[in-house]
Amino acid sequence: MTRTPRSTLLRSLALGFALALAGGTAAAKDVELLNVSYDPTREFYAEVNQSFAAQWKQQTGETLKIRASHGGSGKQARSVIDGLEADVVTLALAADIDAIATNGKLLPANWQTRLPHNSAPYTSTIVFLVRKGNPKQIRDWSDLVKPGVAVITPNPKTSGGARWNYLAAWAWASQEYRDGGKVVDFLTRLFKNVPVLDTGARGATTTFVERGIGDVLLAWENEALLTLSEADTRDKFEVVIPSLSIKAEPPVAWVDKNIDRHGTRKQAEAYLRYLYTPEGQRLAAKHGYRPAEPDKVPAAELARFPQVKQVTIDGAFGGWKKAQAEHFADGGFFDKIYQPK
Amino acid sequence: MPTPHRTSSPVAWLSGALACALVAPAQAQSAPPTVEELARRLQAIEQRLGTAPAATATADNAAGLSDLDQRLRVIERKLELQSEEAATRAASTPTVSLSASKGLSVKSPPPGDIEVKFKGLVQGDGRFYFDDDQYPQNDTFLMRRIEPTIEGTWGSLIGFRVTAQLAGDSATTSDVYLDLKFDPRATVRIGKTKAPVGLERLQSSGSTAQVELGLPGELAPGRDIGVQLQGELAKSTVSYALGVYNGAVDGRDGSTTNPDNDFEVAARVFVEPWKNDGNALAGLGFGIAGSTGDKEGVGSNFLPRYRSSGQVQFFNYRAAVAADGENTRWSPQAYYYRNAFGLLGEYINSSQDIRLPATGARETIDNSAWQLSAGYVLTGEDAGYKGVTRPNHPFTVGSAGWGAWELVARYGELDIDDDAFPVFADPAVAARNAKAWGVGVNWYLNSNFKLVANYTQTNFEGGAPAGADREDEKAFFTRAQFSF
Repeated sequence: MTRTPRSTLLRSLALGFALALAGGTAAAKDVELLNVSYDPTREFYAEVNQSFAAQWKQQTGETLKIRASHGGSGKQARSVIDGLEADVVTLALAADIDAIATNGKLLPANWQTRLPHNSAPYTSTIVFLVRKGNPKQIRDWSDLVKPGVAVITPNPKTSGGARWNYLAAWAWASQEYRDGGKVVDFLTRLFKNVPVLDTGARGATTTFVERGIGDVLLAWENEALLTLSEADTRDKFEVVIPSLSIKAEPPVAWVDKNIDRHGTRKQAEAYLRYLYTPEGQRLAAKHGYRPAEPDKVPAAELARFPQVKQVTIDGAFGGWKKAQAEHFADGGFFDKIYQPK
Repeated sequence: MPTPHRTSSPVAWLSGALACALVAPAQAQSAPPTVEELARRLQAIEQRLGTAPAATATADNAAGLSDLDQRLRVIERKLELQSEEAATRAASTPTVSLSASKGLSVKSPPPGDIEVKFKGLVQGDGRFYFDDDQYPQNDTFLMRRIEPTIEGTWGSLIGFRVTAQLAGDSATTSDVYLDLKFDPRATVRIGKTKAPVGLERLQSSGSTAQVELGLPGELAPGRDIGVQLQGELAKSTVSYALGVYNGAVDGRDGSTTNPDNDFEVAARVFVEPWKNDGNALAGLGFGIAGSTGDKEGVGSNFLPRYRSSGQVQFFNYRAAVAADGENTRWSPQAYYYRNAFGLLGEYINSSQDIRLPATGARETIDNSAWQLSAGYVLTGEDAGYKGVTRPNHPFTVGSAGWGAWELVARYGELDIDDDAFPVFADPAVAARNAKAWGVGVNWYLNSNFKLVANYTQTNFEGGAPAGADREDEKAFFTRAQFSF
């Protein structure tokens, strides 16, 4: 009497398990990559994804679907640490990927050595975007702390771009004042002139360009160039190159634990290596990023990038780990400089 | 800079925008506000929002239109960001809700398929017996049930329920189960739950018409531990349950283990053919349930003792009698609810192979019971298997609401197989038959609080020395019940 229901139950469970397994196998045929990126790369990766998927299809016959997620770089890194299953991350700064390696244990600590140029296939710098005619006569960093000048920059706690902005300002002030107290005072006055602190670079661009708030936007060069390339906005703004800026190196990395779980290692590595190919470098230049290997790009494509005197994160701040701990960690310089209203 | 009183286009626009933003009493103003007035009002808003401009504006430049425009834009953008932030936070923040009908629940962010609910049932009784000369009973107040429950879903597949039972001398559990919800048509329930046999036994403890169950409840198994497949078919007009359990004795919960190494299979099919039609038969449901399994052993884990409606034992087997083989129950059952009227009826037969080891005498004892229970809600609410769930006018002190009032009546009989006497049961202490009637009133003050008063009288055949009948039982039970 007790054997019949028990064996029936076992048979049912076995059948259910077999069906679930069969369903899972069928679903696994689509190959999909998730690129978790930062704010201003939307247009760039939209084109890269399309271009790479076409090339991959031609090379392997495999249909590849690449999804992209964009947001403030720090927030994006936190999402990956918290479980967003990114196959690759293309973030605004190495510290955010370091956080994924350190806190999430999703990729090795030496991830930055796996691809050329410290895993940064393109670079950028920080420039000023001002309204046409530059009504507030903003020429350099010193103009940003004048009374009545509203500066738009996102929050360094959540935005990689904002951290580059902050460090560029710090680098200039360090050179200008050569006194720690005066540097801090300069940054304090600068952030007092920030009326809206967006969480990401794209939000800050929206604040400045679309909402008409502020006199100057501290922007990624590619974001400024994008604004100038669009018909709606090109006649309303102009770019000001400060006397000193910073070489921003947005790095890329595949996320080992996730790609091994998804079985997408081959595709993920090829995707990131594609960024170093002539086509990848050309697309970077097209979207306002300075190619890491400019010799692969026609000279005409590089003409849009003016000469800018730049410091590097390693040279001026001792690398990202040190900069992160000193400036952006809880209790760091930024917390002392900026008090939320 | 434009003069403050010019009604130029920007001023008009700004005035309008500010008027909207500030919810200004525009009708009350006979003349357009000056720029200085708008600046003051904007400043007041900035102070309220904590967004005062960093650059300290002088009185003169504060009045500048472009400055006002910027400050207004900053406020708008900040509100926009706050709104985005709130939406993002809402998308990742669990929802905690507390309501009278649903209790306390915590739900995960969208898609919200993780939900944990906290519920409770408390029943405090007052029990009084009349004319109990032959078998004196203790009039008493007691806590009949104190049942905190945690239940919920963990994703679309898993459901669970844990109900503690804190009334009594020691804490125990009522329901403790895990549901694997493959489909509404097929859910596997693992754990301790009500065995699917008795209609009134399957009612929630807080929903039964009277304080204690009718006599058929004494023949149906209580809660038991096992694995049960259950589901609903044909647009929920057919429900079924089929399970394997350790095996519970009549009228009691199963033991925490399986002392006789035998299992019991139970099944129930219940049909409500017109449930979705909304006609006069919509509230008609009928079905059949049964169980079968072996029981072998001596004592209350294997053989039943039956209680009256007043919860007094009136039948038991002799101590040396052992369960020795098949225990089979079957139970046709039905209910009908139409507006304020409700009727519930069930029959149950329980047969058990027994043996008296000392003599080797064997017998199959067939005991049976039935009942009809009717109710009418005087205040017009719908009657139902779950009781009156929501009074139209909850009772509130000092106002017209008096809650819902329901009258209930019940008649039932329990008959012991004649073959039980005198070898297996002592006719001087065990009654052959019990006939019970009872009436009651239920006062649902609101959805959560209910007062109950019952009078039941049970007449026995046999059960007293010298072939006499056990004295009639007259019991007046009251209950205060709080549930959420």
